Amino acid sequence: MTIVRGAIGGVAGYILGAALLMSIRAAAGSRAWEVESVTAGAWLFALTGWLLGVGVWRYWARPWFGKKEQVYTTTGWRRYFDFDTDHKVIGIQYLVSFLALFFMAGLFAMVMRYELMGVGEDVLDADQYNSLMSLHGTMMVFVAVAATVGAFGNYVVPIMIGADDMAYPKLNALSFWLVPPVLVALTASFFSGGYDTGWTGYAPLSVQSDVGGLFFNLAFFTLGLSSIVGALNIIVTVVTMRAQGMTWFRLPIFVWSIFITSILSLIFTQFIGLAMLMVVLDRTAGTIFFDPASGGEPLLYQHVFWFYSHPAVYIMILPAFGITLEIVSHFTRKPLFAYKWAVGGLLGIMGMSSVVWAHHMFTSGMAEALRKPFLASTEMISIPTGFIFLSALGTLWMGKIRYTVPMLFALGVLFNFLIGGITGVFLADVPVDIQLQDTYFVVAHFHYVILGGGIFGLFAAIYYWFPKMTGRMMNDRLGKLHFWWMMIGFNATFLPMFSLGLQGMNRRIADYTPDLADANRAVSMGGFFLGTSFVVFLYNFLKSWARGPVAPSNPWGARTLEWQIPSPPPHENFEVPPVVLADPYGYGEPDSIHADLGVTQSESIEEGVEA
Amino acid sequence: MGEEDRNNSSKRLLVVGLIWLVATVLAVIAVAAIQWHPFAASREAEITDDAFDLLLLFAAPVFTFVLVVGGYTLVRDRDRGTGADGAPIRTNRLFIGTWVVITTALSVLIVITPGFTGLDELRAEPEPDLIIDVRAERWNWAYTYAESGVETQGTLMLPIDRRILFRISSTDVIHSFWIPAFRIKKDAVPGQITTTMVTAEVLGSFDNQDEMRVQCAELCGVGHARMFTGVTVVEQAEFDAWLAAAGG
Repeated sequence: MTIVRGAIGGVAGYILGAALLMSIRAAAGSRAWEVESVTAGAWLFALTGWLLGVGVWRYWARPWFGKKEQVYTTTGWRRYFDFDTDHKVIGIQYLVSFLALFFMAGLFAMVMRYELMGVGEDVLDADQYNSLMSLHGTMMVFVAVAATVGAFGNYVVPIMIGADDMAYPKLNALSFWLVPPVLVALTASFFSGGYDTGWTGYAPLSVQSDVGGLFFNLAFFTLGLSSIVGALNIIVTVVTMRAQGMTWFRLPIFVWSIFITSILSLIFTQFIGLAMLMVVLDRTAGTIFFDPASGGEPLLYQHVFWFYSHPAVYIMILPAFGITLEIVSHFTRKPLFAYKWAVGGLLGIMGMSSVVWAHHMFTSGMAEALRKPFLASTEMISIPTGFIFLSALGTLWMGKIRYTVPMLFALGVLFNFLIGGITGVFLADVPVDIQLQDTYFVVAHFHYVILGGGIFGLFAAIYYWFPKMTGRMMNDRLGKLHFWWMMIGFNATFLPMFSLGLQGMNRRIADYTPDLADANRAVSMGGFFLGTSFVVFLYNFLKSWARGPVAPSNPWGARTLEWQIPSPPPHENFEVPPVVLADPYGYGEPDSIHADLGVTQSESIEEGVEA
Repeated sequence: MGEEDRNNSSKRLLVVGLIWLVATVLAVIAVAAIQWHPFAASREAEITDDAFDLLLLFAAPVFTFVLVVGGYTLVRDRDRGTGADGAPIRTNRLFIGTWVVITTALSVLIVITPGFTGLDELRAEPEPDLIIDVRAERWNWAYTYAESGVETQGTLMLPIDRRILFRISSTDVIHSFWIPAFRIKKDAVPGQITTTMVTAEVLGSFDNQDEMRVQCAELCGVGHARMFTGVTVVEQAEFDAWLAAAGG
């Protein structure tokens, strides 16, 4: 019902907006109907209508107009399809939505790899290839930016800090319900011929692309709104809602990583909104930001775009660092080594992330004088990044390592990011980058960072927190099978891509010179192997959720707060607000207690451990 | 920590250190044995390939360090069903201090060389012998030899051992002028003239080397993948004759 109401609101909003714009256009003497101009403007009305329809009006806005607020009564599975303000419901809404997007974008990748198996155009023509490639990139970037923060930032962070919910629960629901319009815009883009600009959407190509390009701009803009609202909420939550005694240096490292990620989102996401808006205005309103014939500046787009999109790489990877360190500590049964250095590493990355963007532009024709400073800043960002490895290696050392599925994925993050990070050092070197920029070396590098790091981190988090979120255990054997299958498939796909790039295969091409055929066939085979690994995951995920063994409250024996309450947690999370006494990493330290949860809760924990 | 633990700990460090040493030596040998680079035909290619090789040398011990320390502890320190906690080691000043100093020093070193030194080498010799205006448009390349005014499409003819300046422009969207064998790449941006320089040092053509091509390296629409032409490097005399025949 909620979605129907939202859809009605969205359509009504679109019609209203379109009517308004068309009358303005007609009054100004232009042709009233012009699909791009009208749609771009009406989109904001449609968004507003959608949000009002899905619940903003009923549960939020009515009192603003002196009406009585409606009481939220939805229960059971219907809550997941409603404007629910429980952070745990919203976390699962995010997880399922972005997993669906992830698998869709993955299928696109399979089709791309099928096309690239041989020389020539086989199943796709160049235009279809470019569209599919652009959608694959865009959707995966959306997944990488929003899946982990949306799912686990929402579900786990409030519990980890001992809060009963986020600071602004309604705003939280609003940030999730901005996501379906993103999916609508992507779908509209697909069915209106797509766009051929890649996810980077460089002007002036993007200004000239078909109407599908407009929907790409609107999708990114809308996701940006959702990110900003969500980030603000997480920041305020962590600042103001920490339990008594939860000082900054007692925060679980995962909370730190999500907090810092959110600061990056809040500061930088507006720049992608700006970049998209400028392109939309160039397309529809006759502005000339990127039109050189009229004095515009194409490079301006790249500066604004990368001013967001480089920090966005850290938005994608910092949560994975947080999950990895969290899991490594709990499954080595050791305190997190060099905790403050790890936090310092995250803060250092945050601080430096705004001064490295132009390393994407070494060959762009920007001022020569910018090359050295951006080379230097980019190489230097490997110092704080190294602290993550310092902390992870120090924690592993002399631990009592338990090879659970989440632990395997966390180790996978470390291995893959090691390769992704080191190859980043190569790309930051301007002479090397001149050759490798826009080749498959770059494609391999960022897949090692984002898929090998970020998405492996996402799966580590899924396996780790699944029992808490669903109250059921996932199958351990299938989990391990999935890990090894995915790990081998991933490396078999992307390691040879470094070699392809070195050999001179440029990216974003539907066809290549014949000398690259063998390597491409091998990459495609690896890709299909990687793709099929997710069948195992999906089977395990769905079956365990429906019929898996009931999970105890603390199956991993971990010390952070979320494991000290039932699985899944009750609505208010804690019966009484917990009092935090020390950081959660006191493994092997006698008498170390993370938090006092009150009598009744401690009893339920002990039962949980025995079960 | 008891006496036994301390001995045990020193022994571990010694073993890990030795494995690391061996692994690094093997990695360096492997790095040297692998042919990383495709056909190279210019002064710039030497600078770029050297920079890459130097970075490989720097990367080898870092890569092996993480793998060896991580791998060792993953094998040795697995829990054998005891359910016990590990040693509560929260910090180690010597290890952290060494790590911070070495990673910082290495980063600074990489910035200086091959970073700044490589860039300076590329920028040395800024006086061109020959200027070629490159015009990119969807989806082909056009070349104008500035001095003679000869304009060609198709294969790019270049003389060997001459300093060549390319002045690159675009008439529509952004393209990128890339010659893989030369290791040069510069975007063609509408409304702007960008430049790059090269000295070809090897004779050759696209017929026998796939890397001898001008390839568009910035997505420019449906014809992007096919937007390339051959590059042919010939002796000066042959080049002069060709230019004269072409109308110069």
